[in-house]
Amino acid sequence: MSFLRARKLSVEFPIYQGGSRSLKKALLASSTQGNLGRDAYDRINVRALDELSFDFENGDRVGLIGANGAGKTTLLKVLAGVYEPTRGRLYAGGRVTSMLDVSVGLNPDATGRENIVLCGMYINIHPRSMRQRIDEIAEFTDLGRYIDMPVRTYSAGMMFRLAFSVATSIPPEILLMDEWMGAGDAQFLGKAQQRLEELVRGSSILVLASHNLDLLDVWCNRGILLQHGRIAGTGDIKDVIEVYRNQLQ
Amino acid sequence: MSELPSAEALSERMPVAGIPAERDSTDAPGTRIDGCDVTLPLTETTPETIATIPAAPEADWPAPQSELARAWHDLVAGFGKSWMWVAMALQDIKLRYRGSVIGPFWLTISNAIMIAAIGTIYPTLFHADILTYFPYLMVSLVFWQFISTMITEGCQTFLSVQPIIQQVPLPFSIHVYRLVCRNLIVLAHSGLVIPFGLLIFPTPIGAGILWLLPALLVISLNGVWLAILLGMLSARYRDVPPIVASFVQVLFFVTPIFWMLRSLGPEHAWLGYSPLAAAVDILRAPLLGVAPEPESWPIVIGMTVLGCAAAFFLFARFRSRIAYWV
Repeated sequence: MSFLRARKLSVEFPIYQGGSRSLKKALLASSTQGNLGRDAYDRINVRALDELSFDFENGDRVGLIGANGAGKTTLLKVLAGVYEPTRGRLYAGGRVTSMLDVSVGLNPDATGRENIVLCGMYINIHPRSMRQRIDEIAEFTDLGRYIDMPVRTYSAGMMFRLAFSVATSIPPEILLMDEWMGAGDAQFLGKAQQRLEELVRGSSILVLASHNLDLLDVWCNRGILLQHGRIAGTGDIKDVIEVYRNQLQ
Repeated sequence: MSELPSAEALSERMPVAGIPAERDSTDAPGTRIDGCDVTLPLTETTPETIATIPAAPEADWPAPQSELARAWHDLVAGFGKSWMWVAMALQDIKLRYRGSVIGPFWLTISNAIMIAAIGTIYPTLFHADILTYFPYLMVSLVFWQFISTMITEGCQTFLSVQPIIQQVPLPFSIHVYRLVCRNLIVLAHSGLVIPFGLLIFPTPIGAGILWLLPALLVISLNGVWLAILLGMLSARYRDVPPIVASFVQVLFFVTPIFWMLRSLGPEHAWLGYSPLAAAVDILRAPLLGVAPEPESWPIVIGMTVLGCAAAFFLFARFRSRIAYWV
């Protein structure tokens, strides 16, 4: 049983404007102004997520919709466990796999093969079990002899192939995806889509953030419309998309 | 999920290479996205979404852990993933010397050259006996490099892995253990000069050499708290790394590394009470076959206890902020 539950979940980013990040300012502020509670550090807090409450249960395919800066990626990062909510609570059951930036951990000086093991390590897979999959993954990348060359020599599309193949090699329980359509030629994208579909089918919960409303319509059954970090609407994906489209007009 | 269409159908419905037009329109000025909270009737049209939020929702949730418990769990879980930080540390070394023929043994060679140069010139300068000065300098220098690199690299504990911290939820302590482990591996290379040097300039090594092991252990533990503390401070205040770097440079000259404490005379004996002098001393003495200064171990243990406590409480308090800081 997988689930993701949130109650009044909020995330605030402190923005350290110019000087407030310097030690000098902090020291001077504490020595010259003893007043507590003053906005001594002239810190600006950006509230990226504002009191979100939701329950994602088994079988939910949730599409996150919203303008740039609405909080989609931040929400995914909180669900992935990267950011701890500054207020409110999150309760996750199940192994969370996040595909936010697939190229995390790619080392330009290591070869493709080495990077398969390295990247696997960062997504918490023991090198031993990664080495067993290495050939299968290398084959999926279609990189041919480039797999034994340093990643430095790869084109952007080739890097995407490698990273994508590693990131999708382990079947997830809870799958978090940010808009992933990156570089890559048409031939590989067809293959990638097929692989993603398998993953989505195999996962018990999917949370997908995208601007591609057609994609969301096909893959999701629930929608959440985010606006300025707040849930502006939630319901069936088709209704949410419709509302969002109306807003745009 | 039977309603999912096949891949062919999918690619028909959505443009594969291009980005759909919707994306740009959201950024276009003039589109009204404010006041959208009026779309709330949407929630009413789907009453089941409200129904899924129970009246007393958090009653059966596990009790939240305290900050201290979570920090402790981070440290333990991170240590348990030794396969990860050992592999990362090895990879660091491997990449640093990729393409070089003798690889990390450059460390050994450059160390040997520097020690040979200083070790033969300075005894004349200090009017010291080369037979005692040379091994003293060699051992001190190797361990000083170990300690000082841990301090300067400690500032980058979290900053250098920013992309990982922002993408993958790993225990933060992994990056700390990785740093200490990497420096131990470097020490194993740079320390290779010691056995050779001791063959030429023998010291009365006895069973006391066994003290090297606890000394290394304690200094590594100090590396852990230093990396946590400096790593967090540097992530929050970007002035810290240059400050630390310049301090370390000065500390090299005021720590008995290339000069001996007793040649200073009693009025400067207090320099021996510095934690760094004590740390170098407990590592150095076993290899020179002498007993460390009587105050060295107490100073180091005191520093370890205080440092661990301070770092742990700060880590507990600010651990959840690290991802926001880097």
